[in-house]
Amino acid sequence: MKEIRSLIRSGRPARSWADRYFIAFALLLVAAVVAQPISFVLTAAAGQVTPARVGAGLTLILVGYAAFLALSRALGPVVLPPADAAWLLLTPLSRRAVLSRTALVLLAISVAGGLVLGLALPVAVAAPGRLAAALVLGVAATVGGMAWAVLAQSSTAWDAWLQGTLTVVTVVAVLCTAVPHLLPSVPIGPAAAVVAATAVLLGWRAWSALTRMPARILLDASTRAGHLARATTNLDPGALTWIAEDNHWRTHDLRPHPWPERLPAFLSLAWTEVCRLARRPGRPALLLAATLLPMVASRAGIPAPGLLLVAAGALTAAASVTSGARRDGNNPALARLLGVDPRQTLATRALPPLLLGAAWIVLALTWLGLTGPWLLLGVLTAPAMAAGALRMARRQPVDHSLPLVDFGMGGIPVGPVLWALTGVDIALLGTLPTVQAALTQPAQLGGYVVAQALTGVAVLAAYIWRSRTP
Amino acid sequence: MRPERPLVSHSVCDMTKAIIAQDLAVELSGNPILSGLHLTAAPGEIVTITGQNGVGKSTLLRCLAGLLPPAAGKLAVMDGPPSDEPAFWRDVALVADEPAWYPGLTVREHLKLMAAVHHRPRLTAERALELFDLAERADMAPLRLSTGQQQRLSLAMGLTRPSRILLLDEPERGLDADFRVRLGEILTEYAAEGGTVVMVTHDLQLAQVAGARRIDL
Repeated sequence: MKEIRSLIRSGRPARSWADRYFIAFALLLVAAVVAQPISFVLTAAAGQVTPARVGAGLTLILVGYAAFLALSRALGPVVLPPADAAWLLLTPLSRRAVLSRTALVLLAISVAGGLVLGLALPVAVAAPGRLAAALVLGVAATVGGMAWAVLAQSSTAWDAWLQGTLTVVTVVAVLCTAVPHLLPSVPIGPAAAVVAATAVLLGWRAWSALTRMPARILLDASTRAGHLARATTNLDPGALTWIAEDNHWRTHDLRPHPWPERLPAFLSLAWTEVCRLARRPGRPALLLAATLLPMVASRAGIPAPGLLLVAAGALTAAASVTSGARRDGNNPALARLLGVDPRQTLATRALPPLLLGAAWIVLALTWLGLTGPWLLLGVLTAPAMAAGALRMARRQPVDHSLPLVDFGMGGIPVGPVLWALTGVDIALLGTLPTVQAALTQPAQLGGYVVAQALTGVAVLAAYIWRSRTP
Repeated sequence: MRPERPLVSHSVCDMTKAIIAQDLAVELSGNPILSGLHLTAAPGEIVTITGQNGVGKSTLLRCLAGLLPPAAGKLAVMDGPPSDEPAFWRDVALVADEPAWYPGLTVREHLKLMAAVHHRPRLTAERALELFDLAERADMAPLRLSTGQQQRLSLAMGLTRPSRILLLDEPERGLDADFRVRLGEILTEYAAEGGTVVMVTHDLQLAQVAGARRIDL
């Protein structure tokens, strides 16, 4: 393996002094950027916290950990560069030797993730003296989690356990917020020791499992990672959704749903979105749990306005049921084969994001304690959110031919910025009355409610009216 | 602003023809692909277009579908210029060369959807499953089908919905020999109902499907 690696390296140009300078400068920059939040964390850890804030802080840490596990599971996690996967996997070389570098990278990622979680823990529970133990706990949890994800990659039994753990972590995260006064006080030191011992065991098993990891699984994961890397380097984030979607449905059985025979024709397209959502029960569950996030963030003292989080969450919820519109936009042949007026298609496809967005807003605002006219105002933003979500789903890939705009501190590419704002723009336009009400906090909201109702519906109607076959 | 398409003059309109092309020229990015082409297709007729790679078969199909404006000549599809408009696509079904589907829906649901959005579907979903040999794969995601099965699904979707003109771009792709024969029968039945088929193909046996008129570019 060493000979092969040196052979591959021999074809590459040697690292110049400029390269070394760039690496050292980048590391210094990272250290400078990270130093400020660390100092903030250490200062905050010394402060007094209420039980509600402890619960909210723990919730955010657990959500971060669940996201780390879910991402590790979704991305492989054991992958090789496409060329290595194509040439080195199907050789008599030791599988562990081929994968050792990947294992090191995964370990480094886990340690970095663990340090972040470990740093956040003393802030949440106000235990400045337990920083070392918290760091050990964080690193052990992420290294163990990554090892578990490695084992789950080639074993359905381990994968089932990992999914179960993800569910448990999410449920515990919700409970931390819902009943913070019932939280048991777990000593960080002993907990760190137990988790570290488990992580060592899992790490050892994962390291042993590398030798038996099937080439087919590694090839699939590496191809997927290659697509992901290409989409990222080409700045084509839209392709990522497509890849993720196809990967999901390729690996999952579809449970048959009866097609309602009396369903009116115009609702058929909306029904397909319902079928899709019902086949991914984790997604509605996650969206439901996410309705708590604005309240959790508000209790944890995170400086982000609750209403901004509600808007972001509602747009995300609405965007989660726009697969059909996205496919129509990306594959015009399919939309034409369907033979339905694009306005009619889009109007029907707007129903699921509208309803889901509205439901999400109702829950999130209720947890935040906003009822009455504020709740009504929030619900009336749902049509604008649906319009924004549909526009996001139908947007074209990033236009790299657009010029750079110089803002004095360097050029900013217009293409990715416009791409990122597509969808958010009309969602913002359609929620202007609510935005103004949130900024001015008027005593009477009646006028704003009427204005929001008209604006939301007008924006959605105008978007549908102006649409045509992609 | 969409560019003005060469409009069909009244003399070109002929109620007995579904497609009339006179002295048609097509360009791609300024490069001439086809010129001086004459083509007619009547209701109930199957026209197959054959030729070597790169002679412009698929380009011609795109032009007939209104996705590419003619550079010169006159073209009428159902008594008017082809246009990329909803009214046009209600009558014209184009099965492109790449199979296409919606994520997260089964094969049956694709056909149910195709039947549901049209008031008078040509086939029921169950009949289409049977006709296109997909009954055993009805509850699978299209992504899990083989290339040939995916192609059969695309064809089934195109033939489930009602249409007056069916445009097919290399429908034989991935299909086994037996099913190619079956496809010939299915298309013959479609034509017998009064529909017009224009099919680009490399399969000379399929190009000679019963009563088909072959145009070699």
